[in-house]
Amino acid sequence: MELNNDNYSAHISAQFNEELELIRTQLLTMGGMVERQVHDCVDALLNGDIELAEASQKVDKQTNEMELMIDEQCTTIIARRQPAASDLRLIIAVSKATTNLERMGDEASRICRHAIDLVEEGESPRGYQEVRHIGHLIQEMVKDVLTAFARNDTELAYRVAKMDKSVDQEYSSAMRSLATYMMEDPRSISSVMNVIWVLRSLERIGDHARAMAEHLIYLVSGTDVRHSSLKQIKKTVAEEK
Amino acid sequence: MTSEAKTHAIDISSMQRDSRTLDLNEETLALEVKDLKLSYGDNEALHGIDMVIPKNRVTAFIGPSGCGKSTLLRCFNRMNDLVDGCNITGEILMDNSNIYDRSVDIAELRRRVGMVFQKPNPFPKSIYENVAYGLRIQGVTKKRVIDETVEWALKSAALWDEVKDRLHESALGMSGGQQQRLVIARTIAVKPEVLLLDEPASALDPISTLKIEELIHELKNDFTIVIVTHNMQQAARVSDYTAFMYMGDLIEFGVTDTLFTNPDKKQTEDYITGRYG
Repeated sequence: MELNNDNYSAHISAQFNEELELIRTQLLTMGGMVERQVHDCVDALLNGDIELAEASQKVDKQTNEMELMIDEQCTTIIARRQPAASDLRLIIAVSKATTNLERMGDEASRICRHAIDLVEEGESPRGYQEVRHIGHLIQEMVKDVLTAFARNDTELAYRVAKMDKSVDQEYSSAMRSLATYMMEDPRSISSVMNVIWVLRSLERIGDHARAMAEHLIYLVSGTDVRHSSLKQIKKTVAEEK
Repeated sequence: MTSEAKTHAIDISSMQRDSRTLDLNEETLALEVKDLKLSYGDNEALHGIDMVIPKNRVTAFIGPSGCGKSTLLRCFNRMNDLVDGCNITGEILMDNSNIYDRSVDIAELRRRVGMVFQKPNPFPKSIYENVAYGLRIQGVTKKRVIDETVEWALKSAALWDEVKDRLHESALGMSGGQQQRLVIARTIAVKPEVLLLDEPASALDPISTLKIEELIHELKNDFTIVIVTHNMQQAARVSDYTAFMYMGDLIEFGVTDTLFTNPDKKQTEDYITGRYG
């Protein structure tokens, strides 16, 4: 059965429609906040902007509150409405995606902490090129997975999963070059380590974006594609079309 | 640029769902029950109930058969007066006066507190006459007033579009779900303050049931609604507040969201999770 956004406004109970629409809107709002956090943490790091890093860390508290609020609403909808089929999948997918978003927020917050440390150490270490590059890819992924949720777009979700693979490759190659820097100049170890943690956090954000993409494919197609290869995901998406 | 502006902080509290803010202490009350005891002969069916019915909200009574929920509902418009050997003590206050006072005009009370039963019971008359009936009893004779009220009541009961072209056909030719909505239209035509619904959807198919539930949700803007239902899920779907009764006692009464996700009493938890009852 084709699933589009009208699906959530077709119940006899207008109140049920509103409740489902509300958790979708809230997920996307939370997504917007996290997208901003991811953007700001990379910016704060590259520009050495402590003020931005601190402000972004504060937003993480709001992201956590949103997680609690959305989850509570999901629980209430399950208790009150006994949702079935696509409605049930929506609630499960939203609840899980919320967890992923919250963790992305935590990683962004961690990056801000390293950004502050790096500014305080006063050195512009090597590895910023890698952060810029991977940071850019990650921002794309987060933006795309949210768009995919907004449009129930499984093709786009598949592309996000695919991008995660390139991020993993970029991450491995960045690790190799940073290890080389540290061997060449042991005095840089402390600051390069900070950059490594940042890259690690970015890579984790990518994993969460991929997980969200998988939840969306489950929501739309009903097939759980977690722990599946890209090839299998592609097949599921094609079958659904 | 301030840091707030830099990171686009938003007002989360504005995104809460309305029902999350429900609080019994802040409600205007439609009815107040004080130490209500009811017995049929020697058999006490309600053992001293204290509760309130908030205005313009849907309050649901749930509980196993024989727990007293219908009996309590019928107290609100003194339907139990008709039962032989029924003895009631305690008070039910409506606008601060006891509806069990000697001075109360029962016909007027039943206009203010309307009731809809499990089985649709339209009169063997036309659709129009069914809805107009209460007005005619009240002595309304102006055709224009009756026409307008019938249209308003049928629209409020989400029935107008289905019957507007056959208002003068017999009500008995309608489907069960339509008949029940007609009975609701007939009840609200006399503009009651409180609407008592005793298992209003238990004789209907699932879709008609959902239509009645949606109607209940719409009607609470204008009326205070009290509903008795065997169907716990229905109570969860339609009500703002839920009362769980067991063996003539009120066990728990609170906001529906809370009662169905995290009840206070173990007995309530056991009942709503299907462990007894």
